[in-house]
Amino acid sequence: MKDWIGLLARLVTGGVWLVAGALKLPDPASSVRAVRAYDLLPEAIVPTVGHLLPVVEVVIGLCLVVGLLVRPMSVLSALLFVAFIVGIASAWARGLQIDCGCFGGGGYDADATSKYPWEIARDVGLLALSLWLVVRPRSRWALDSLLFGPREDIATDPRPTDADSTDPDSNDADTGPVLTHAERNHDGPEHS
Amino acid sequence: MARNTPEKREQRRQRAAEALKERQAAERRRKMLTIGGVVAALVAIVAIIFGITQAMDTTGETPDNVPSVAEDPAADAEGDAVPGKLDGYGILVGDPEAARTVTIYEDLQCPACANLEAELGDEISEAIDAGEIQVDYRLLSFLDRASTNDYSSRALNALLVVLDTAGIDAFRAFHDDLYANQPAEGGPGFDDDELIERAVEAGAEESEIRADIEDKVYEQWIKNATDQMSKDGVNSTPTIRIDGEDADPQQLAELLQQ
Repeated sequence: MKDWIGLLARLVTGGVWLVAGALKLPDPASSVRAVRAYDLLPEAIVPTVGHLLPVVEVVIGLCLVVGLLVRPMSVLSALLFVAFIVGIASAWARGLQIDCGCFGGGGYDADATSKYPWEIARDVGLLALSLWLVVRPRSRWALDSLLFGPREDIATDPRPTDADSTDPDSNDADTGPVLTHAERNHDGPEHS
Repeated sequence: MARNTPEKREQRRQRAAEALKERQAAERRRKMLTIGGVVAALVAIVAIIFGITQAMDTTGETPDNVPSVAEDPAADAEGDAVPGKLDGYGILVGDPEAARTVTIYEDLQCPACANLEAELGDEISEAIDAGEIQVDYRLLSFLDRASTNDYSSRALNALLVVLDTAGIDAFRAFHDDLYANQPAEGGPGFDDDELIERAVEAGAEESEIRADIEDKVYEQWIKNATDQMSKDGVNSTPTIRIDGEDADPQQLAELLQQ
């Protein structure tokens, strides 16, 4: 069940990133102006941030949708949402009337003040979904499962292996304290 | 059985433990290699697309063509034509000795700008003609996405071509006409032929403007002008400044009443 929630969180968050980034990619100059409109970053890095942000958004979105490196991508996603929430709240607090530029555009918006609460609420919701994935990155239909196996950490995974059965002594009837195969498989061979 | 001494059992256990450790180490190596490979691939993808977006954004590059203000034929004949000149990205219209300077940032696709022009355009023109104000038009283009055919930047290019070939009077007439008949957002704006037709009505010569309008010769200049607006801290159109101070349409209306 939780794996399905994870899938839903991935698709919603990843889908939003994908759309938000893809809408901004065709017009980098506009993305730069949207970043500048917040008046928070030094002019020296504004163009770089404006060019880089849509690319990062698209990559995070793609990775979340296909389930690649879900935990680190969710950490990035959560950090970006925190940054956006701070940015929008700061614009609101300073009385700036700007479109958040979340899905392209940016710059002045006469209705900005009435939109800020809704934009912040949306980002808080997406932040919550990202945090869910940070805590519990495993989910259905994730590429991670194919690449790294179904378990998170292989080192703590006592899976049965062939090595035990090739051991010529392992079939001895008088095993004494040595565990049977069935028990080994269950508790791990290092059990004594 | 003699074989199954405690020593043997201990050996066996050690062997099994070592084999497991090796398997785990191999598994960890494989996992780290996979993560490393995926991260490297992602970094490469980000770097490539980032490079492309940086190349796409030509903002700040030196334009091949910079508009100028054509000599007004009326100025020679009668000497009382309204003066106009280009100062950076500002198109200055009116007497430089006028008491007040009104700066207006406008996009030709912006409905709020059309409203401002509809409400105050005539009074602005009268005040210019009377020598009471000089207007510093900052025309820029950030609303190309509001039409299906990049109307905002094409219309501004056409307006600059008219300024460059036919002078300030034709510029003013064409500017007022484009606002009075502004195409709605969301659909196609005027195509090049319609822009040319309207420019000719405003006083331009078709033979002088057609190529420059179709080739969008001032595209880079327009991009730079738009970026400069953003650097000036202007995030909206119309933005009005009276003698450099931010003002709203109400304050401009009061100034024009005086």
